[in-house]
Amino acid sequence: MTTTTNEVGAPRVRSSVHRRERLRSPAGLPWILPAMLFSVGILYYCLLYTGYISTLDWDGASPLQVNVGAANYARMLKDHVFWGSLWHTAAFFVVTFTVQVALGITFACLLHSRLYLRTLYKVLIFIPVVLSTATTAPVFRQIFAPDGELNNFLRAVGLETLAHPWFANGTIALIIIMGVQIWQSTGVVSVLYFAAISHIEPDVIEAARIDGAGNMRIISSIVWPGVRGTTIAIAILTAIGSLKTFDIPFLITGGGPSYATEFFGTQIYRVSVSLSQVGYGAALSVVLLVLAISAAIVINAGGRRGGRADV
Amino acid sequence: MFETRRLRSRVFLQILLTILVVPFALPLVAMVRGSFAGSGWGNYRTVLSLPLLPGFFVNSALLAAAVIVIVLICTMTAAYGFSKLHVRGKEIYFWALLATLTLPEVVLLAPLFATVTKIGAYNTLWAVILPVAALQVPFTTLLARNFVDGISDQMLEAARVDGANAARTFWHILLPLTRPIMAAVVVLVFINAWNDFLLPLLFLQTPDRQTVTLVPSFFVGQYNNDQTKVLAAAVITGLPIVLAYICLQRFFERGLAAGALK
Amino acid sequence: MSLSRKPGPCADAEAASDTARISAGAAPHESSVAQRRKRSRLRRASLTRRAARTTIAVGALASVGLTGCGGGATSNNGGSATVGNITWWSWTPDNDLAAREIAAFNKQYPQIKVTYKKVPIDNYAAILKPALASKDGPDVYTVNASGRFSAEAFAPYAYDLTSDVKRLLGDDWQSKVYADGAKAFTVKGRLVAAEWAKVGAGIVWINKGLFDKYRLQPPQTMGDWVSVCRTFRANGHGCLREGLAGTSGFVVDTLHSIADSVEPGAWKAAVDGQKKWTDPALVQSLQILQTMSKNGILDEGAVGIQQYPDVNNAFLSGKVPMVQMGTWYQQYATVNSLTAALQGAGVAQDTEKITILPIAFPDIAGKGNPSPLFADPDAGQSVNAKSKARNAAVTFALWLGHTKEGQQVVADNMDSFPTLTGVAPNFDSIQLVNPGLQRPALQDVSERLLQATEARSVGISAALNQGIIDGCQAVVSGKSPSDAAATIQSAADSSR
Repeated sequence: MTTTTNEVGAPRVRSSVHRRERLRSPAGLPWILPAMLFSVGILYYCLLYTGYISTLDWDGASPLQVNVGAANYARMLKDHVFWGSLWHTAAFFVVTFTVQVALGITFACLLHSRLYLRTLYKVLIFIPVVLSTATTAPVFRQIFAPDGELNNFLRAVGLETLAHPWFANGTIALIIIMGVQIWQSTGVVSVLYFAAISHIEPDVIEAARIDGAGNMRIISSIVWPGVRGTTIAIAILTAIGSLKTFDIPFLITGGGPSYATEFFGTQIYRVSVSLSQVGYGAALSVVLLVLAISAAIVINAGGRRGGRADV
Repeated sequence: MFETRRLRSRVFLQILLTILVVPFALPLVAMVRGSFAGSGWGNYRTVLSLPLLPGFFVNSALLAAAVIVIVLICTMTAAYGFSKLHVRGKEIYFWALLATLTLPEVVLLAPLFATVTKIGAYNTLWAVILPVAALQVPFTTLLARNFVDGISDQMLEAARVDGANAARTFWHILLPLTRPIMAAVVVLVFINAWNDFLLPLLFLQTPDRQTVTLVPSFFVGQYNNDQTKVLAAAVITGLPIVLAYICLQRFFERGLAAGALK
Repeated sequence: MSLSRKPGPCADAEAASDTARISAGAAPHESSVAQRRKRSRLRRASLTRRAARTTIAVGALASVGLTGCGGGATSNNGGSATVGNITWWSWTPDNDLAAREIAAFNKQYPQIKVTYKKVPIDNYAAILKPALASKDGPDVYTVNASGRFSAEAFAPYAYDLTSDVKRLLGDDWQSKVYADGAKAFTVKGRLVAAEWAKVGAGIVWINKGLFDKYRLQPPQTMGDWVSVCRTFRANGHGCLREGLAGTSGFVVDTLHSIADSVEPGAWKAAVDGQKKWTDPALVQSLQILQTMSKNGILDEGAVGIQQYPDVNNAFLSGKVPMVQMGTWYQQYATVNSLTAALQGAGVAQDTEKITILPIAFPDIAGKGNPSPLFADPDAGQSVNAKSKARNAAVTFALWLGHTKEGQQVVADNMDSFPTLTGVAPNFDSIQLVNPGLQRPALQDVSERLLQATEARSVGISAALNQGIIDGCQAVVSGKSPSDAAATIQSAADSSR
């Protein structure tokens, strides 16, 4: 699956000696067992249980469970909130991925240059990553409230006409949610790109500069291809993360207004916990899982085709 | 990396960087400012005088510690196994593990609740520790496996020729080499365990078991959503993590980068 | 070596390992590797023995501790009725009000210690369910008359209070309390909760100071309302502000008031399923709601803000002149509650305390129909049937709702109304912001509440409630009222 390299960078030669040594390699099964039993055990148990629940009409607590087969899935196809979640997730993924990669590479390059206060900047972009959403969500609700910070600022600089109730518009609310996610994750992306870029030979960049290449040219021709592996990894993680999005829309807009910021996570929570329709919630979960696995496979395959990608 | 020899470009780049970073810092400023609105330091006094507040920190610390230990054990052994040892159908197992990356916590609610109450683990930290750890292991194994892939086989081969079995190789040779990625795993898992909200909310009921992430919700009442104290509580609960990050920043970046590359 | 260590449960294990070590070392003919192996085996053996002893010791201590913590004799007849430790979970009242109630309770029952835990209302059902299913649940928990955490939803876990109530109030107890409450909290013949508080809605609260400032009278028709709002807006204030975001659903009260103005009885018929939500009276109500959002009555951006904290803070800090809230808002007529609310709103310490007054919902349909107050039993206290201190819990639950002392504290707290007949707030002991104006108004609301016959939320399922909220959000966002009515109808159908 992967072509590994030793520290110097030359590809390892597969010789018959190796094959013999491979056979004598100690059995690894007992070593991967703790992780497999623990994680795969617990999570797959939950998964299978969820699959079973998805065929029920149940409220999660009472002993009354009615088997309804695939009725929950049929209901999903007709549920416009479900299709809305799907659309929002897709848009969310595209926008957050693009902006995070752009910002991440920019920050990484800037932080590699000889500028002042680099550590301070790095810390500032990374602090949002370590803060939990539960602590930062109230801040954002307040910033975009009708008499919150943003509107006060606009009024103060004379741009009163721009002061809106931001959360009242579905599209703007969705953009705000994307913005919060970008705020929270760009730190990690920057660090990953920073490390990836440090593996690019500085001589190559020097040579390009001597040849007269400008900054943008260097980024597009040297940096971008050079960090391909990182980009693929980030794409997969962002795709899966988009499907899992829950904290931010839940705590800031609650999925509203009128389900304009509803994601799978919030819908599952609302259906399972608030409306006590655990069966339907489980069906949504199963579909979510299938989508996530498909996304990971598709992105990985697409990335692999274009070059060497290690996952 | 960028052209910084000429003063003009250096100034331009410095300004560009500053402009880009400001939106990241603004919400933090707003958070701190909002926590001082109304009663100012009084908000902090109220939050800090919550009974059992130190207990919350202790519970969060216990949760984080237990999760870290479990995750480290599972991750390092699995990374060693997947990367350096022979397992039939290795990639199938690996993909099975990675597939669980796609599970959001919210999906686990129904099965976990049913199971936890049946085995009587309700209101114990274990009901939170085990699922949180299980959710971390796939990603950390992914990182660690990539890192261990980059460790030269020759050293391990040499050890084996010397007569060491897999266990001794692991303990004496591999682990010392994997310090950066272990540090990264510790920091990552610490952040996620400390910040976990949903599972403690549902499974930890009595204040002597609850974790620090539930403190802001103390101030959300039916008729009085006390924003100022919520923000003060948010600052107080976020401070340890921020400080820890600032101190351990270098380890974390090195480890994260080392594991995610290749 | 270590033979001088004081003897403990592990002493002989250590002594054994010591002698083993000595004897292993004293056999020089064994190879060093073998010696090491033997030593480590013996060490492991002694460790295992030590571990075994420790586990047994810990296990024994734990079992002793657990039974000890159970309060001595863990009888399954519920323990003493006057001594015990109980926990009380609820979403209401707020911590300081609960403390007052518990303090008053302790004056009569000093040996029952009550620990109150306030659970955020949005998560209440999710948190209560697993708690009650386990053995660590609360002893007393509050339930609603309807909705996600209704008495009915949690009836399987509740203890039947009928005999205890009869003992306290006599066989004719039902005539001494709010009748609808007794009905709502009786599930399949069992009294699963002791009613404790009731609320009403259908009124509008105004900031008297702002009205006086612009010499305006409270509006009584749609036309009045439009012109009042025009004046307010011209002076930079909002008018009627309401938060439709979130799950609280106060807009249901607004639609209810409008429907009562359009056609009395239509709302109740729709809720009961005798009329469809697509009936002209209800579609017209939705239309009126849409009109209100367009002609300057309802502040814009309603779908994007939450009632608590956004609208609540704005109104109480004097920025907005009108809100539609229910009788629970009267607590902000008291100095203590208003001060606490202002602190929570993050405004300066010396912000002026506003005078709030209740007014009837204007005759917005112009048909001259009266504007009623609709009331519900707001909450009742259930006792966990699995509680180890069940009798003490029953004492507390009944004290809150069925004794004069308990109900007086509830009444004086002003956030809810008492359900025991004959109890009213003792205004002499309550410090109002503006007693001259507010006291008569509040007494009037109190009397109207006593005469209220229409139900507020009883009979509305969680799915229907969500459907109505969705419909209202849709019309305020500009969608057609008949489409919105259709969505409400499908929500009603799916919940039957």
